[in-house]
Amino acid sequence: MAAELTSIKLNAESHLILDQPLLRVPHELARRNFKSVQRAVEREKEYVIPALKDAANAALSNTQTPDQTLAALDAMIARMQGLKRKMQILQEEEQKIQTQSKKRIQHLEALHQIPSLADVKYDQWSRVRLDRLLVDHMLRSGYSESAKQLAKEREIEDLVDVDVFTQCQRIVQSLHRGDTKEALQWCSENKAALKKSQHNLEFELRLQQFVELVRPQDPLKKIEAISHARKYLVPNHDHDSKELQRAAGMLVFNESTRVEPYKTLFSPDRWKALADLFIRTHHELLSLPSQPLLHIALSAGLSALKTPLCHSAFTSSSSNSQSTTTSVCPICSTELNELARKMPYAHHSKSYVENDPIVLPNGRIYGKARLSTISKNTGSVEPGKVKDPTTGDVYDESETKKVYIM
Amino acid sequence: MDLVQKEHDRLLKKLRSSQGINSVQATIDLLQSARDAIAAAFRKDPNQAAVTLAKLQNPIKTSFNAINDGLKETHGSLNKYTKSLDKVPRLALGLFQDPHTLCQMDANVRYPDLKLFKDRPLPSTEHDVLSQQESLINRAIAMHLLREGQFSVAASFLSEISEKKALMTSNERSSASPGSPSLLDLDEVPSAEIRKEFASMYYILSQLKERRNLLPAIEWARENREALEARGSNLEFELCRLQFVWLYHGEPDTAGAIPSLIPGNWRAAMAYAKQEFHAFVPRYLREVQQLMGAMAFCPNLPGSPYAAIFNNTSAWEDVAQFFTREFCSLLGLSADSPLYIAATAGAIALPTLLKLQTIMKAKRTEWTSENELPVEIPLPPSYLFHSIFVCPVSKEQATDENPPMMMPCGHVIAEESLKRLSKGSRFKCPYCPNESHMKDARKVFL
Repeated sequence: MAAELTSIKLNAESHLILDQPLLRVPHELARRNFKSVQRAVEREKEYVIPALKDAANAALSNTQTPDQTLAALDAMIARMQGLKRKMQILQEEEQKIQTQSKKRIQHLEALHQIPSLADVKYDQWSRVRLDRLLVDHMLRSGYSESAKQLAKEREIEDLVDVDVFTQCQRIVQSLHRGDTKEALQWCSENKAALKKSQHNLEFELRLQQFVELVRPQDPLKKIEAISHARKYLVPNHDHDSKELQRAAGMLVFNESTRVEPYKTLFSPDRWKALADLFIRTHHELLSLPSQPLLHIALSAGLSALKTPLCHSAFTSSSSNSQSTTTSVCPICSTELNELARKMPYAHHSKSYVENDPIVLPNGRIYGKARLSTISKNTGSVEPGKVKDPTTGDVYDESETKKVYIM
Repeated sequence: MDLVQKEHDRLLKKLRSSQGINSVQATIDLLQSARDAIAAAFRKDPNQAAVTLAKLQNPIKTSFNAINDGLKETHGSLNKYTKSLDKVPRLALGLFQDPHTLCQMDANVRYPDLKLFKDRPLPSTEHDVLSQQESLINRAIAMHLLREGQFSVAASFLSEISEKKALMTSNERSSASPGSPSLLDLDEVPSAEIRKEFASMYYILSQLKERRNLLPAIEWARENREALEARGSNLEFELCRLQFVWLYHGEPDTAGAIPSLIPGNWRAAMAYAKQEFHAFVPRYLREVQQLMGAMAFCPNLPGSPYAAIFNNTSAWEDVAQFFTREFCSLLGLSADSPLYIAATAGAIALPTLLKLQTIMKAKRTEWTSENELPVEIPLPPSYLFHSIFVCPVSKEQATDENPPMMMPCGHVIAEESLKRLSKGSRFKCPYCPNESHMKDARKVFL
């Protein structure tokens, strides 16, 4: 009994492991947002103060006509107004993010009010979580329309990051098309954060541009490629220079080469690798786990539920679809059966059988009470006989035998 | 969590009171008034401009400082919020390997230093068995959506899948490389037939729950009477009984506030009983008798011994659940969405698995049993679906290769333990004084 009590106790803190990105993502977005405000202010400050000083000096030494002074002031005012507009937009964004965060905190807080896993409220909460995980999976796989629709139907739009993933998908698709522009723009937007990243996304993108310039084997393009390399590859490069040497080496090979590593560099598969690298970098920046959360939850859950009986060649006496009063095991159900095939099964240290087990002459074990209920409800069984709900065989009650399972 | 909430509230307050934009506006005002002053004065006194500009220097600097101060404060509360988030137990999820690999971890593999990569989820796709089975997952999701009655979402999900599939196959054709065999097999996607089945289930359930209309459900039960009877299910009778009770109470809105006191629909109920119940009499004689007996108490049912049958508030919910279970079972599916159960079980299991992973990494231990999780996961009893047999001698779970065997005395141990104990001759049962022989033991099915 004590074990049963502990197994339904809900430890909210550790239960929220799966839900960390829920608060992390908006938080990273808020930080990014804040940094852009800071940058904008800094930029205007660096412009306005010296400009004002210059204007004052010029006015003092009479080297400037009053019209010029006015024009300089007008320019300053225009820039400050631009700053104000920008800040207003960013502030609205900030508000949106923070209200979202608040809703998410409330959602997580709700879990702390639920004392036990058997509570109806936990069931509801867990369903919302599943919907979140599904939306997450759909967004990551690129099914954004379904994701949006599901989020809307279940009213969890504040709990999922549709926009973040849609933007990510757009850039990934542009990379699949062979276009580096959007990805590079994203890199420049996140320059500061990318410095800490272990992946050198920007370098790889620039290298790809270089490859594309070399590919047509046009001398003019090759010259352009060299200047491109000077401009972007050399300064961007900080670890080892092997990559640079390879890039230089590429200039003497063409696309049909079979010499490694140039073959790989020319390969169109590099675009796919770039897209993957982008996704990794993007998720890392937002503290998003690299695999869909649904996969993490499922792989743990499938194993926790799986028993050796789920993929057994023999039909299990307990929990099969032929007998009522027990429900079909989710792992045996067609949806998950194949998926769970390669998973390990759960570890148990104690047998768990129905109360008062009896064995039928064919070797099947059932709880006595359940067997008699089933037999009673089946019209065709005479009193004093029992029917095996799995095989349909009918036996006399005297043929059954008590079995002891420790 | 409390801390996170508190810090977030503080952050919100700070953001609301933020003066950033006002300070910018103040700067603009300063510049504007200076400009106006210069514009008005420059004809008369060109030096005025220099003076105004010189005077302007300091106020502008101060207002920029004010903006920056505001930003600093916001930054401070943002940082505090970050810290409160960091305090939430944060395990490197990216490092999490699925249980499959967890079982096969061996001591020779070097794991990256946890501290170094603490905040950097590592790509562990090569370990992720599930990623290779994308189509199976998608199928499970589609089934889940159908089950939950999200037909429109399911439809757009399926169409997006086939779109992506079409795109992938066309890509594969254009790039000459043959590539992997088609990743998405349309056969994997639930067939139209299953979709139709779920649509009808949803229709029946919505009739039942929202309009208290049992007739579609009863009709379905009639159609599947044989299959239900083979399962020993009394769904049809339960439905008819509820229909009888419902008829007796009459429509809740026409019968008024206290329906049970006005047995106006007694006749309707009796007529229904005459028409339908004769088929049930052989099997459910007692229950039918109860219902008929209750009629004798007609004006004062709540005070009768049968009150419970007629005043069961959860009856509708129970019947709906019962119906769903039977409906899904006939399709070979479990009653609750397996995806929901598995994901919930996963969330319950994760803390234990992650802890295990950390311990295994720290101790560099090896787990030898290949197909079994190394640790017991405390799931609530409702998540146990099968009977579990753990051999009391070897403490191993029974499998197809090592099935449970029952000795003539009725005690059960695993086959391998049995072989080890008997060594081909007579042996004593480890749990009672009886002696038996290997060949007397029988394989049992749990």
